Amino acid sequence: MGNKSGQFNFVWLFAIIAGAAILVLAIYGATKVGDTQRFQTDTEIAKELAILTDPLQAGFAEGSFGKITFKQETRINNICIDGNFGRHKISASTRSDIGEPWNIPGEQVSIHNKYIFSLGGASGKEYYVFSKPFYFPYKVADLTMLIPDDYCLVNAPEEISDEINFNMKKIQVENCSDKGLINVCFGVGNDCDIEVHGLCMTGCDSVYDQGTVEKFGAEMKYVGNLMWAAIFSEREIYECNVNRLMYRAGKIAEEFADKADLMDARGCNTNLKPDLLTWAGLTINAGVDDLMDLNSIGETLDKNDDLAGCGIWN
Amino acid sequence: MELTLSFLEKKKFPRSRKNYNSLASLRIHSCQGQMKIQQMAFMILAVFFFFVLVGLFFLGITFRGVGESAQQLQMEQALSSLEVIADMPEFNYYTGAAMTLDEDKLRIMSGDFSEAYEDFWPVASIKVYKVFPKPESFVKCPAVNCNYFEVYDSGQSDVQEYSTYVSVCKRVRESGRTYDRCEASKLVLGVIDVLE
Repeated sequence: MGNKSGQFNFVWLFAIIAGAAILVLAIYGATKVGDTQRFQTDTEIAKELAILTDPLQAGFAEGSFGKITFKQETRINNICIDGNFGRHKISASTRSDIGEPWNIPGEQVSIHNKYIFSLGGASGKEYYVFSKPFYFPYKVADLTMLIPDDYCLVNAPEEISDEINFNMKKIQVENCSDKGLINVCFGVGNDCDIEVHGLCMTGCDSVYDQGTVEKFGAEMKYVGNLMWAAIFSEREIYECNVNRLMYRAGKIAEEFADKADLMDARGCNTNLKPDLLTWAGLTINAGVDDLMDLNSIGETLDKNDDLAGCGIWN
Repeated sequence: MELTLSFLEKKKFPRSRKNYNSLASLRIHSCQGQMKIQQMAFMILAVFFFFVLVGLFFLGITFRGVGESAQQLQMEQALSSLEVIADMPEFNYYTGAAMTLDEDKLRIMSGDFSEAYEDFWPVASIKVYKVFPKPESFVKCPAVNCNYFEVYDSGQSDVQEYSTYVSVCKRVRESGRTYDRCEASKLVLGVIDVLE
């Protein structure tokens, strides 16, 4: 009887250990599969972000905007990599209910042909995508701003507030300075988180055509629509993207110089080739600090192209 | 178990006929018990492998879905890139009209100049065909009477392509008059194959 009882106990002991091992393995496997699927979803979010922002590019319009809504709070990690055309490495991570506040981000998606300005680890459920073209002096690219936070433009002149008249709820213009939003002051103002100082003196549509944006103790120089990029972006991302834009501006100038040859060959003279080659040399390795000096040279180049019988971009 | 049985044999069962029968009976029971344990062990192993196979089957389906989903995203990328690429300053015509390409820029970009743009494009290939009037054959530019520009080709085989109609224009000066000469064309983009 004792022997039978021993057998019975052993069988049960064996079954319990084996069963527990199978259960542990099953739970571990299920957790891993869950993690893999979340990783896949987060990677898809990053890739979709690259696709969704395509139709939101300003193109030939003065600007465009759109809204991207995620099912849950999502953090977009934006890493800008400098060097020639450069690229963005975008990854997304969703809010976690257990342990760390954010899940491990999905695979990084490389985007070479976009200039995305955002805060490094911006998070939110709703993102506004605000796009503006960048001219230097010809169209270089569309600037894409990813905005999860709410902003208030304090003392914004009419020409500035008109530019964001797209029913963008995240950017308010009137009577908003005491609503606890991020205050962007044009010139002077109270409780300013970001200050924009216009420095354009002659031949400008607005004093804010070029200037500086002061943000969290850092100063960022801008020209044209880069003002919006400087407001909504982290300094490192802004400077990296400006370097990328300058390189692209230089490559386009080289292309225009070749185009000038083709146009000359069929009697459509431009005489702009030497200027374009000089311009390409100046811009291709330029950075944020060169923006304002180059802007005045660019304006002269633009006028010359406008006056030419066969303009290259005008 | 063997140790326990040896102990039982020595201590509890004296050498008699009756006890030999009991011992034989116990050995049979013991063998049956061992058989049951082995059966259970094999059963548990079988159940374990069954779940492993089910898990692998499930993972197989899931990861096949990953590949399909990645390919689907690449296709969407190519479709949305049709307009983006047509509007890029490297291709678009100065007038600012949407879906209008500059023939001079296409000539330049289909030459050595585009080598710097190798990783820039979000697609596997970029080609532009002049389609009206309908040509007898496509001649790749640069060449005399060419009507087909190959701006970029990643070298990928079996490229799935998507296209849209565009205008290809150039500014010409004839008899002291400057005007834009445009031709109906097709912009063809290839989808990057992530499964290749």
